[in-house]
Amino acid sequence: MKGIVFTEFLDLVEDKFGLEMVDKIIAQSELESEGIYTSVGTYEFSEMLQLLKNLSANTNISIDDLLLVYAEHFFSVLKISYPDLIATYKDPIEMLASIENHIHVEVRKIYPDAELPTFNVLEKTENSLTMIYKSSRAMHHFGLGLMNKTFEHFSATATIVIEKIKEDGTEVKFIINKN
Amino acid sequence: MANDLKVLLIEDDTIEIMKLHRVVSSLPLNYKIIEAKNGEEALDILEKKDEIPDIILLDLNMPKISGIEFLSILKENPSLKYIPTIILTTSNNQKDLLECYKIGIAGYILKPLKYEDYVSKIEKLLAYWSINELI
Amino acid sequence: MSQIQIDILQRALNREKAARKQSEKILEDKSLQLFNATQELKEANEKLELLLEEKTSQLQGVFENINDAYLIMDLEGNALKMNDAAIELFGYDLKTERFNVVNLIYKPDANYAFKSFKELRKKGFFTDYTARIITKSKAVKWVQINASLIYDKSKQAIAAQGIIRDITETRRTSELIKEQKIELEKSNDELQEYAHIVSHDLKSPLRSINALVSWIKEDNSGKLDAASLQNFELIETTLEKMEQLISGILLYSSIGSESVKKEKTNLNMLLEDVKQILFIPEHISIKILNELPVVYGDKVKLQQLFQNLISNAIKFNDKEKGLIEIDVQEEKSFYQFSIKDNGIGIDKKYHDKIFKIFHSLNKTKESTGIGLSIVKKIVDLFKGEIWIESEPNIGTTFYFTLKK
Repeated sequence: MKGIVFTEFLDLVEDKFGLEMVDKIIAQSELESEGIYTSVGTYEFSEMLQLLKNLSANTNISIDDLLLVYAEHFFSVLKISYPDLIATYKDPIEMLASIENHIHVEVRKIYPDAELPTFNVLEKTENSLTMIYKSSRAMHHFGLGLMNKTFEHFSATATIVIEKIKEDGTEVKFIINKN
Repeated sequence: MANDLKVLLIEDDTIEIMKLHRVVSSLPLNYKIIEAKNGEEALDILEKKDEIPDIILLDLNMPKISGIEFLSILKENPSLKYIPTIILTTSNNQKDLLECYKIGIAGYILKPLKYEDYVSKIEKLLAYWSINELI
Repeated sequence: MSQIQIDILQRALNREKAARKQSEKILEDKSLQLFNATQELKEANEKLELLLEEKTSQLQGVFENINDAYLIMDLEGNALKMNDAAIELFGYDLKTERFNVVNLIYKPDANYAFKSFKELRKKGFFTDYTARIITKSKAVKWVQINASLIYDKSKQAIAAQGIIRDITETRRTSELIKEQKIELEKSNDELQEYAHIVSHDLKSPLRSINALVSWIKEDNSGKLDAASLQNFELIETTLEKMEQLISGILLYSSIGSESVKKEKTNLNMLLEDVKQILFIPEHISIKILNELPVVYGDKVKLQQLFQNLISNAIKFNDKEKGLIEIDVQEEKSFYQFSIKDNGIGIDKKYHDKIFKIFHSLNKTKESTGIGLSIVKKIVDLFKGEIWIESEPNIGTTFYFTLKK
């Protein structure tokens, strides 16, 4: 997993819960990296999973909710880092529909070894979009957070329903309806 | 009962004429030989109509109008075209043979070198036409 | 600040330091990778440049050295570049003047020219365009042009190039050959006619002499002595010989000038016919060693060929048991036949002469000296070859080939 996901995550934890919480969840986790992350490095996904679990345990907030919040934060990081990419879109449905065919293609140019989820479009109209999310990471709520922020970015809102296709969350259906 | 044949021989070579006379004179039947030295002479004879032959023996290589030219004139004439005409020639030129049959002939006989072969051929020819019904 | 807080800060600081070092290390590695990649690219570029230079100079060489005219023009027909051969052919020189290829079009061929140009635009090329052009000095030349479009990087046609071959001379020559061929055919036909007339004129007196001789014999039956009768016989034999000669010459002159009638000919059947026609004495046997092929050609000539060779083999056999063996070998583009006899054989010094006309080695009643020259002429007609192997008293083998 790309280092920027770790650094941004820990920054957010420090921001919301204080440096003690950062220190605590690092200490509680068994990390090969010893909690030393740099945005240009690459680290094991299992480390993120442990950090999330420990944060959830310490704060009594569910992992899905943590991911949702983190995703909303991460969107602003992307907005600052890749404004041109986002500027090519005029509409949130268009942008979400092209995750697979455009955005991820661009991501791979910068991070050739990035392990990305797949978003296959099932159905698309002017105001609605149905996509299948597949990833062994089961981080669909991270996706949900990014989607929410996408609509917000274009000054719109949407009702997004998640239907689990697989119980473990590695395959889910996003049903997005623009309000 | 065989007919008395009237034969028009169109031939420019004196000895060839003598040859036919000699063969005919040695035969028991009566034949009348009318001689023409060339095509023009033959046409003159035919135009008079008092001596219309039963058959014509025609040499191909002749001065003035050639045998083939004579044959064409003959075959265009509505009354004369019925006279059976037999070519008697040295030429075994495939082209001449074809041309003659195309215009219309009753036979094509090559002149042999040996006189005895000639006698045999002429005898057969005359015998054949003697037993034919002619116009 | 409590000790715990200090420790937390201390640990956070340590992590930050370590992270910085890690990122520096990653960046250094990346820089090195980049440097190496750049280095490789540079080398590859240098190689490409060299290659390009080489190709360019090769092309330049081709452009300057081809014997044919080479011209590049824009799509409106304005000449852009041409080699020396083109300058020489067209008479226009781009160094001193501009010109459009339309100037080169010879009016009667204009329709064809515009049609071909349209084809070039549509298909991207044309081949073997053959027409006349008019040069600057108003000379009309026949040319053959192969042309193609030149495209830019976005596959847009930007120009056209053509190689123009001056075929004026070639055409003139081939037309001359055509004329000469027609003339030759005509004179061959005339010769053929002439041969027929001559043979007629020559044979007529022979016939007359023969008739006269037999009449003298008939009319003086019983009055002539033995010597006179023998002399008369000699006259008759001589006449026959003379007639055969004339027929032979006529036959020889007719080979090759008659219209050739080509047909599939089964040589096995043909040889059966030949055996029927020829008189084969009892003491001579003819064996065909292999199945003979079916060949394509004039049946009459093929028959003459085999008939002449086999009749020679019969004629010149002096053995008690004469044996003639006919064989064939198939080669890639031709058949090789052999006709072998155990006859009198031919001395080596005559091997070259026997195929020449009137070179009969044994001037007898049956031999005119034309047979083998006819054989040679027929083999020539089939684009084949003929040769012999022979030993006096042992026998002769004639070999000949017929092209498939």
